[in-house]
Amino acid sequence: AERVQRSGAGGMERPQPRANGCSGAAHGALRNGYVRGLSAPDTQINHIVHNGGLYKRPFNEAFEETPMLVAVLTYVGYGVLTLFGYLRDFMRYWKIEKCQNTTEREEQKDFVPLYQDFENFYNRNLYMRIRDSWNRPICSVPGAKMDMMERVSHDYNWTFTYTGKVIKDVINMGSYNYLGFAQNAGPCKEAAAKILSQYGVGVCSTRQEMGNLEKHEELERLVARFLGVESAMAYGMGFATNSMNIPALVGKGCLILSDELNHASLVLGARLSGATIRIFKHNNMQSLEKLLKDAIVHGQPRTRRPWKKILILVEGVFSMEGSIVRLPEVIALKKKYKSYLYLDEAHSIGALGPGGRGVVEYFGLNPEDVDVMMGTFTKSFGASGGYIAGKKELIDYLRTYSHSAVYATSLSPPVVEQIITSMKCIMGEDGTTVGKARVQQLAENTRYFRRRLKELGFIIYGNEDSPVVPLMLYMPAKIGAFGREMLKRNIGVVVVGFPATPIIESRARFCLSAAHTREMLDTALKEINEVGDLLQLKYSRHRLVPLLDRPFDETTYEETED
Amino acid sequence: MNVGVAHSEVNPNTRVMNSRGMWLTYALGVGMLHVVLLSIPFFSVPVAWTLTNVIHNLGMYVFLHAVKGTPFETPDQGKARLLTHWEQLDYGVQFTSSRKFFTISPIILYFLASFYTKYDPTHFILNTTSLLTVLIPKLPQLHGVRIFGINKY
Repeated sequence: AERVQRSGAGGMERPQPRANGCSGAAHGALRNGYVRGLSAPDTQINHIVHNGGLYKRPFNEAFEETPMLVAVLTYVGYGVLTLFGYLRDFMRYWKIEKCQNTTEREEQKDFVPLYQDFENFYNRNLYMRIRDSWNRPICSVPGAKMDMMERVSHDYNWTFTYTGKVIKDVINMGSYNYLGFAQNAGPCKEAAAKILSQYGVGVCSTRQEMGNLEKHEELERLVARFLGVESAMAYGMGFATNSMNIPALVGKGCLILSDELNHASLVLGARLSGATIRIFKHNNMQSLEKLLKDAIVHGQPRTRRPWKKILILVEGVFSMEGSIVRLPEVIALKKKYKSYLYLDEAHSIGALGPGGRGVVEYFGLNPEDVDVMMGTFTKSFGASGGYIAGKKELIDYLRTYSHSAVYATSLSPPVVEQIITSMKCIMGEDGTTVGKARVQQLAENTRYFRRRLKELGFIIYGNEDSPVVPLMLYMPAKIGAFGREMLKRNIGVVVVGFPATPIIESRARFCLSAAHTREMLDTALKEINEVGDLLQLKYSRHRLVPLLDRPFDETTYEETED
Repeated sequence: MNVGVAHSEVNPNTRVMNSRGMWLTYALGVGMLHVVLLSIPFFSVPVAWTLTNVIHNLGMYVFLHAVKGTPFETPDQGKARLLTHWEQLDYGVQFTSSRKFFTISPIILYFLASFYTKYDPTHFILNTTSLLTVLIPKLPQLHGVRIFGINKY
């Protein structure tokens, strides 16, 4: 095993890196971010992304390719399920088997059908079989451990009955609780309860009418200070922040360049705006640059007029892949081609960066370079809602023209107080170091968990520093099996498969939290190891050699072994 | 689980045939079918080849040219509801690699079947008609065409 030291910018003796982040994979020693094979130390390629010194810290992202055998077996699995689906549909049609789906009444059979039966094929033949892994009812606060109502199904998941038992202390690896603020005790709760008795729960109006409380103004000043920008505006719902504000910013005649794996709220907002949408490959800066060049050179499709605005839509941390956007390169491209950047920090605010200020602080960049910074309070602050931050002119414009401000109810006061208290805690303004400790704990948990999972031999997608950890399952039966086996061992996980993901990339997604202690993570890892052996999930061909425990710091060592 | 939760691909059906390993799985499937047919003792080799060809073309016709729409709800308000899977491939762009592959594979199977049946007339008629049922719908001129209104809605 070779020892490769990774550090940030610099490295004149190393071969020229390419724009999209791969540094010299010519002789096949490097694939997907791992060094394979032992090469001589003097030809050792440093596989860290460094694009002319834009990155101040190592950027390690890897998406190991699906092994061919696994892909073939996955297709066989879906094929068998499809054939059995047709068989069951046939039996249901000829009344050999009772149909438990809702159908139209006999009297309506002569009319044109309201729904197409085939569109429900996947739902009734595949999703129903493993439906018990989703929509599980929780009956406690979704902290690091939670209580779940036990449900059982006697007709293969068509109906559920509650046994009455409550499964206690299930380790929660699925909630977006990055800094552990999902608590029902502590200073945030006290503050929120006080404000509840003072202001009540409902606001009963939109921001522009009677719903503008001084609490909202206080929150917005605090958010602007937290992010280091001029001004901010807060909305009641994170999804609505994206889908209602992008139409206010761009319209017909503008161009939106959106990442392949953007969230549904961004896609909806882009579609609602009426602008032209072009999609670039996920986190691929060459693809983005090509689209930018083509847009500027060719202009609008038929008239060849210049675009009114070009808006690049990216997310800080992509929630299904666990990858972090290549922000330094995006900002360099944005400046070069004079376009605007909309950064959705739903999962990265509070979770990345030494002070929890998000992906901009993580890369050490200037917040003023990002034109529109959007984020949500749902994930790291334990509340709900979203915000948009940026220059004062932009936010003043949005106060008038945003659809959310005009039509949607504003944030509820106890929720606002929760956000204010948790944000002050993260900033350290409440007089304790609890916030800083939580941010550091999350970073340590992330590194530890990812490293251990890779050592165990699972295929993990994404960046080393992202608290979202997708573990690849691939086969449809393993999706259901993984969810159920983990629940049997008292761990709650989120699994997702086709058609939400590409057909050969079904996964289980772990969301780490600062509230997870080392013991909880070790228990979880032990159970994941067991389930991995039971279900044969350890597909990775590039195993990391276990390291001696090292302290959390900037320079890290990696050893790989074929 | 709905379409578009983890990606912005509006209709995943368009990309399924391009995924890694799909062509290999398809080839292995055809091979498996042929081996099963060869193992049945009362089928001679020519009969087994003709049956492979016919069953393969029948399956291809049903799944690619008869079944319409998507097995899941797509977020594009059902643009593909009246399109067969072949018409949905790559959003209707003609002559992509998947389309070429799936056009050539029944032809190769036809060559092999003709060879192994020693160009016998009965087998020839069966094989050729079956090949035509699966080649004609793939022509770009027949994109979206429904003859005599069959399979229109």
